[in-house]
Amino acid sequence: MRGRLPFSAALVAAALLLTFPIWSSPWEASRYATSILRDMLVLAILALSLDLLVGSAGMPSLGHAAYFGAGAYAAAIAGQRLGSDDLLLGLGAAIAVSALLALAIGSVAVRAAGIFFLMLTLAFAQMVFAIAFQAADITGGSNGFSGVRRPTLLGLDFNDADALYRLVAVIFLVVLLLVWRIRSSAYGRALVGLRENERRMRALGYDTTRLRLSAFILAGAIAGLAGALQAYSLRFVSTNDVGVGRSVEAFVSVLIGGASTLLGPVVGAVVVLFIERVMPSYIAFAETVLGVVFIVFVLAARQGIVGLVRVAYARVRG
Amino acid sequence: MTPETAVVQALNGISFGALLFILAAGLSLIFGMMDVVNLAHGAFYMLGAYVTLTVVQRTGQFWLALILAPLLIGGLGLVIEPLLLRQLRGRHLDQVLLTIGVSLVIADLIGLTWGREIRSIPFPSGLDHAIAIMGGDYPVYRLFVIGFGVGLAVVLAVVHQRTRIGALIRAGVDDAPMLAALGVDIDRLFAITFAVGAGLAGLAGVIAAPVFGIYPGMDVDYLIYSLVVVVVGGLGTLSGAVAGAGLIGPADTFGKVLVPQFALALIFAIMALVLLVKPTGLLGRVRIAR
Repeated sequence: MRGRLPFSAALVAAALLLTFPIWSSPWEASRYATSILRDMLVLAILALSLDLLVGSAGMPSLGHAAYFGAGAYAAAIAGQRLGSDDLLLGLGAAIAVSALLALAIGSVAVRAAGIFFLMLTLAFAQMVFAIAFQAADITGGSNGFSGVRRPTLLGLDFNDADALYRLVAVIFLVVLLLVWRIRSSAYGRALVGLRENERRMRALGYDTTRLRLSAFILAGAIAGLAGALQAYSLRFVSTNDVGVGRSVEAFVSVLIGGASTLLGPVVGAVVVLFIERVMPSYIAFAETVLGVVFIVFVLAARQGIVGLVRVAYARVRG
Repeated sequence: MTPETAVVQALNGISFGALLFILAAGLSLIFGMMDVVNLAHGAFYMLGAYVTLTVVQRTGQFWLALILAPLLIGGLGLVIEPLLLRQLRGRHLDQVLLTIGVSLVIADLIGLTWGREIRSIPFPSGLDHAIAIMGGDYPVYRLFVIGFGVGLAVVLAVVHQRTRIGALIRAGVDDAPMLAALGVDIDRLFAITFAVGAGLAGLAGVIAAPVFGIYPGMDVDYLIYSLVVVVVGGLGTLSGAVAGAGLIGPADTFGKVLVPQFALALIFAIMALVLLVKPTGLLGRVRIAR
């Protein structure tokens, strides 16, 4: 694990991120940048969770939106049906539902590896999409689920846009810290072992199928958390949130930013949402740009932006 | 369910299966030879349908589209394979990822060119009438789809078993590096394989256009259908594509009639079940799951 940021620099960055609504307010009266940054952080959480599979464990899931969307629906529906705005209840429901879904799908999908794992995760995610689409009386179907209530916690009210931004930023930092801890733990190293040489891991006595399943559930649960945050952010859940497009968005974020690096998925999420949300104001073919950028990275820079920066940094240092 | 609706739905199911066969055959061919699951397959299919839309609007000639679209999309495959996929030969997963990018680009360019609305074209002349089946009217075009699918299966089987290119394909599926060592121009063979696979997707798009719709998002829907078909039937064999399409087409159709609330999930349940019982798929040659 090289390239670790100095502790003080990380603290400054975290503080700047948390206080963004304050120091940006003089030049950002419309709060547009705040809402974009908030959505970037949500996608970053999703991408961080996906990279536990793609980068660490070598499990290329192309169906991660299933758990993201399940979390979004769970938070929205829990708020509505239980008539409660409690944040912990909403997040708890999101994490529980997406983890259970990951357990169900993972039980079949983790039996496959590589390209086949990718095919199965993609196909089963489409099944979840179909269910969300069809169960219109619960999810709103193709109309989407509107009027999601924003949460409260211990007298803190997250209805205000800046308060919600800070909630997302805090949870993002917690997830980042968590993923950093996981990656440097014995468990995280076992996942890397899966990627590098699963046979050897089996020989060492690891139950590799269970290890893969546990990673799948962990990643699914964090994806569900991201989904809940998006439901609160947009006050709306649509079938797009369980769709292939969202899965591809997360996957492309991981690859462009740099798989198997801590900050790669975060950088990738920022780049992807910049292309998808900011560029369409200027050009009509933003999605084509995203596709071409992705192709270029797969062809010529598989290590992603963070990987490229590391190589350049190492070269400068000699 | 009355016997009348059962027969009609059976025909619907078989014609949908015939379409899925055309689509899955291309996907399976590319995988068998190159070990690449082409995730742009749905985008090629979509392009076939939209090219058909334009040809029919401009000339009124569906049959012209039937020839033109597969050639055009096959030609596109002939460019994409050497330009992109060949750069990553041997890195199968990265090749698959590359096809995601290709798919994004094609789908977006289709949206920019043709717009993002649902479109439709009439049945081609000569096949635009209905015949009486079980006391009801049944569109002849759907019967044509069945005949076309069966005919194509026979042609592909004959090509596969009886011709030089078929022998090369069988050898390549068995052991591509050995084939290269024997002096076969493997670059050319891979490019042609990818082009034929893409062309088959385009052909499926043409056949589907008059009945199964032309709409944004059809690329994803039919990519998923073709993935389910090849997983259920088994990857890399022609018989697997036949078996998978023959099962999934009718299952999906009857599911939508009998259990509408579970229909969309039904084919995935079948896929999971098949994988648990037979990890190679029904007639496949590679283990998909452990």
